[in-house]
Amino acid sequence: MSTSTTKKSGFDSFNSVLVTLGRGVGGVVNTFYQAGRDTIETIIRNILPFMAFISVIVGIITKTGIGDALAHLIEPLAGSLVGLLGISIFCAIPILSPVLGPGAVIAQIVGVLLGTRIAEGDIDPQYALPALFAINPQVGCDFIPVGLALGEAEPETVEVGVPAVLFSRLITGPISVVIAYFASFGLYAGA
Amino acid sequence: MFTSAFAATMTAVDEPTVEDPGGFFGALADGAEYFIALFQAGGDFFLALVTGILPLLIVLLTAVNALVRLIGPERIEKLGAAAARPGIVWYPVRYLVLPVLAVFFFTNPMAYTMGRFLPERFKPAFYDSAVSFVHPITGLFPHANPAELFVYLGIAAGITQLGLPLGDLAIRYLLVGMVVILLRGILTEFITARLMARRTAQEGASA
Repeated sequence: MSTSTTKKSGFDSFNSVLVTLGRGVGGVVNTFYQAGRDTIETIIRNILPFMAFISVIVGIITKTGIGDALAHLIEPLAGSLVGLLGISIFCAIPILSPVLGPGAVIAQIVGVLLGTRIAEGDIDPQYALPALFAINPQVGCDFIPVGLALGEAEPETVEVGVPAVLFSRLITGPISVVIAYFASFGLYAGA
Repeated sequence: MFTSAFAATMTAVDEPTVEDPGGFFGALADGAEYFIALFQAGGDFFLALVTGILPLLIVLLTAVNALVRLIGPERIEKLGAAAARPGIVWYPVRYLVLPVLAVFFFTNPMAYTMGRFLPERFKPAFYDSAVSFVHPITGLFPHANPAELFVYLGIAAGITQLGLPLGDLAIRYLLVGMVVILLRGILTEFITARLMARRTAQEGASA
């Protein structure tokens, strides 16, 4: 009698271990599967369309020779600290920054253009880091009221917040380029 | 990569197998070839992007998405309440730890909802700080802002074509990004405070 109960309870605990294990593994597998599903959806909805868009622009720019003309324009700017500071101040001008912001489309196109110039050796690879910050002081400037609304801000806060962020960018934009410039020492030094 | 394919199309154009038609139709044919070549160059670039970037991106995005799901965003929300406290110690929490975690776990644009835990006077600064991090994070964690990857990827592609490693650039981009968002948060909070004070003074004068 007693042996049968211990056997039964032993079987029960083994059973419950199996159930817990099965549930845990199932949960993890399900999480990864769902993550994969999210990933593919992101790729199809966000990444591939942008790749197609960028490809059309790059194809036209490289084949027509506009790329070379643009390169002569960009090179002196992107290849020196002063030029990069100029780009960052331009991007941070309070009237221009909300215009340059949407979808970061302009920053992305300039990024690709600079990338092709770096690949061809016109711009020192070390300048990649400050350049990343130079083309970015306008980030999110088109989105301030929406972003603040997402944070449940009062309308009064939005009224103050929009100019506060825009003016702050005018100062922090160039500062970020300088920080990035000094942080880029030793980057690809051997190349 | 696309330049070599590009060169191949160029040589194909250089070696015609039939005699070129002259005159009006010849010009038309040249125009048509030029037109197609524009998009051929774009197509080669697209192929290079898809085969060069997508495989790694898909695996990485899946792993990070799973990690975010396993940890669960609700744990980050607890931190939001703590970050509202005054004092100099809480600046890095408010404008460094909170935005970084918010962007990592909630991604662009849902990260900005974390602002709701902060008092009104900190909200613009928090938004500024968080939104400034959505690009520096993409170097290592592209899941946070998949629609705007090319700010980094565009420049990174150039580095790759030179045969240089990207890890150093990605990590420096992330670290400098962290310094910049902290600075931006502090400065924007200061400017917001000034503007709010001026506004209340004006209202007091008009009343």
